[in-house]
Amino acid sequence: MTATKKAHPYGGKMTFWERTYLPEVFRGMGITIKHVIHNLLHTSEMPTVQYPEEHRSYSPRFRGRHRLMQRDDGSPRCVACMMCSTACPADCIHIVAGEHPDPAIEKFPETFDIDLLRCVYCGLCEEACPCDAIRMDTGIYEIAGTTREEFFVSKEFLLNNKSDGTEV
Amino acid sequence: MVKVTIDGRELEFPEGTSLFDACREARGEALPHFCYHPDLSVAGVCRLCQVEVEGMPKLTIACNTGVREGMVVHTRNERVKTAARQILEMHLINHPVDCPICDQAGECGLQDQYMNHGLYESEVDKDDKVHKAKAEVIGPHVILDKERCVLCSRCVRFCDEVTGTGEMGIFNRGDRAEIGIAPGKELANNYSLNTVDICPVGALTSRDFRFKKRVWLLKSTASICPGCATGCNVRVDHEAGRIFRLKPRYNKEVNGRWMCDIGRMTYRGVHSEKRLDGPMLRGDGDLAPVSWSDLHTFLAERQVGLWISSPAQTLEEQALLAALGEQARTSGGVSTAGRGDGDDLLLHGDRTPNRTGLEWTDLQQHDPASLVALVRETSGAVVVHGGDPAETAPGFLAAVGGRALIFLGTHANATSKAATVVVPMSVWAEKDGLFVNKDGRVQAVRRAVARPEQAVEDWRFLVDLWSAAGCADAPAGLPALRRWLAERVPALNDLDLNALPAGGLAPATAPAGAGGDE
Ligand code: SF4
Ligand code: SF4
Ligand code: SF4
Ligand code: SF4
Ligand code: FES
Repeated sequence: MTATKKAHPYGGKMTFWERTYLPEVFRGMGITIKHVIHNLLHTSEMPTVQYPEEHRSYSPRFRGRHRLMQRDDGSPRCVACMMCSTACPADCIHIVAGEHPDPAIEKFPETFDIDLLRCVYCGLCEEACPCDAIRMDTGIYEIAGTTREEFFVSKEFLLNNKSDGTEV
Repeated sequence: MVKVTIDGRELEFPEGTSLFDACREARGEALPHFCYHPDLSVAGVCRLCQVEVEGMPKLTIACNTGVREGMVVHTRNERVKTAARQILEMHLINHPVDCPICDQAGECGLQDQYMNHGLYESEVDKDDKVHKAKAEVIGPHVILDKERCVLCSRCVRFCDEVTGTGEMGIFNRGDRAEIGIAPGKELANNYSLNTVDICPVGALTSRDFRFKKRVWLLKSTASICPGCATGCNVRVDHEAGRIFRLKPRYNKEVNGRWMCDIGRMTYRGVHSEKRLDGPMLRGDGDLAPVSWSDLHTFLAERQVGLWISSPAQTLEEQALLAALGEQARTSGGVSTAGRGDGDDLLLHGDRTPNRTGLEWTDLQQHDPASLVALVRETSGAVVVHGGDPAETAPGFLAAVGGRALIFLGTHANATSKAATVVVPMSVWAEKDGLFVNKDGRVQAVRRAVARPEQAVEDWRFLVDLWSAAGCADAPAGLPALRRWLAERVPALNDLDLNALPAGGLAPATAPAGAGGDE
């Protein structure tokens, strides 16, 4: 074992200059100033996003807030098979099935609620759906509210989530 | 006995055994099948159970073949597997495959067989399929989807052979063949929901259960139907504290594989709006909610003169009530309560599950007039556990007069409305207990769902009353209670009630039940 002169980074004896901290302060300042000048000269490369005026774009595969697909007449495509709620690991999809007035459809969701606070955005629900009735392609990731109830979204809400992120 | 070799194993079977049953025993699982049913005649129409018998030129269906000495049978070779797959493919040619909206999904023969023996790519386009009527209501309890039917004819045979009502039939030929109801009839017999059970696919489904729950989410508890003195063995299917359906549980000695529709609907009472949901005491004029401690203080101050049980309570509760009433008078309730029409299949005219229990616990029943007379004879408070004497015994309330009427019950009724004290109790699906059926068979009901928040478990409440009345060695837990019960009831003396077999027990010395005379 050879004894090194350098002080242990987490203790031991510090040299005089180390104890003044000044060399490190100036070195840090130097890095900051280097970035300021670089960024001022190359504004287009700056990584900062001017949120909320500006949004970061995600890949089309990004799983955002769910939406329910509509049939041509605007009614839900969902047939209340409960595959999604069975697959959901967070147990946050609550469906009540009912008899559809149109005998050709038979079964439909009377209510379809998702508790977004419990959802882990895993995407298992859209993967399980045999009817392509639930999708997570809205790209919406701003999910905020001031009460718990606001996160408990209903069938009507989910039907009106468009994939371009607008709520109608 | 005849020697048969199945898949290389040599086994012996009694003469006359069907090859289907022999194969089930040899393989440890049944052959693929739709039409075979152990309680119905052999139809041999689905052709799924084909096996290879050496010496026979073609494959043969096992369900319609008897075992023969020296038979050599193969059930797992390529030829048999191919046959099963191709037959299945044929069954599915016109099948709509609408599993997402089919209540049978999860317990469907087609799904199971496809996963076990099919797994081929379908070659039939959805638009090429023959379409038939869907969601046709064919009776008060059953709904028919003709497209999903595989024409196994089990339902037809059930209506012909078990109920003898013959409502169903197969109409037309070829791929137009379909199940239907005979003209002018509907499937309205009291056993119609059994066709839903035996239908291997989702062609016949229950209207009551329709779309209520996916079957894979249900949990089952083995129990007994409280609908009549027959005591059919049932499975209570429930989820998150709610019962969704009752299904028959096989018991050779009692109900076989069936149960009646009236019995199946008994679960509805469990979640009825009339359930009593809190202890109540009559203040000045009206019944008002009361705390448990005030209720117990009130009860401790009363001298009870008459204890009335009912044939709907469990054996434990009846015995406890009889023990409590030893210093006073007791009654088993009104003997005419809960009588209806029976039939010669399962449904009994006595629509209470435990009238025999009253006999075993020496609680004599009274006709309406003699119960009223008994009430007049006694003094002190009257305790009514279950039943509704105010309704079934005219003059009962007048006889009670100004005395305290203490009602331990589950649902609001005439007695609860007139009572001084109301204590909310548990129904059969919320507690453990024993019922004795008409033939003296002791069977257990088990707690399937939670009782309403404020309700109490009957036997615990009675034990508490008994301790409060000064009994030092009142049984403290269910096992102790059952040991105490076995000692107290002569018919049960040598039995271990804590280790009751799944099908119940009929003590050899059991006296025949009160309901047995019909
Ligand atoms: S994304 Fe996952 S957690 Fe969220 S609802 Fe779907 S299955 Fe449930
Ligand atoms: S899996 Fe699809 S069709 Fe089924 S309930 Fe969920 S959203 Fe509806
Ligand atoms: S309705 Fe069901 S039980 Fe009746 S023949 Fe069709 S598949 Fe078989
Ligand atoms: S026969 Fe009696 S015990 Fe059996 S299901 Fe019907 S009501 Fe219940
Ligand atoms: S079970 Fe043998 S032919 Fe259907």
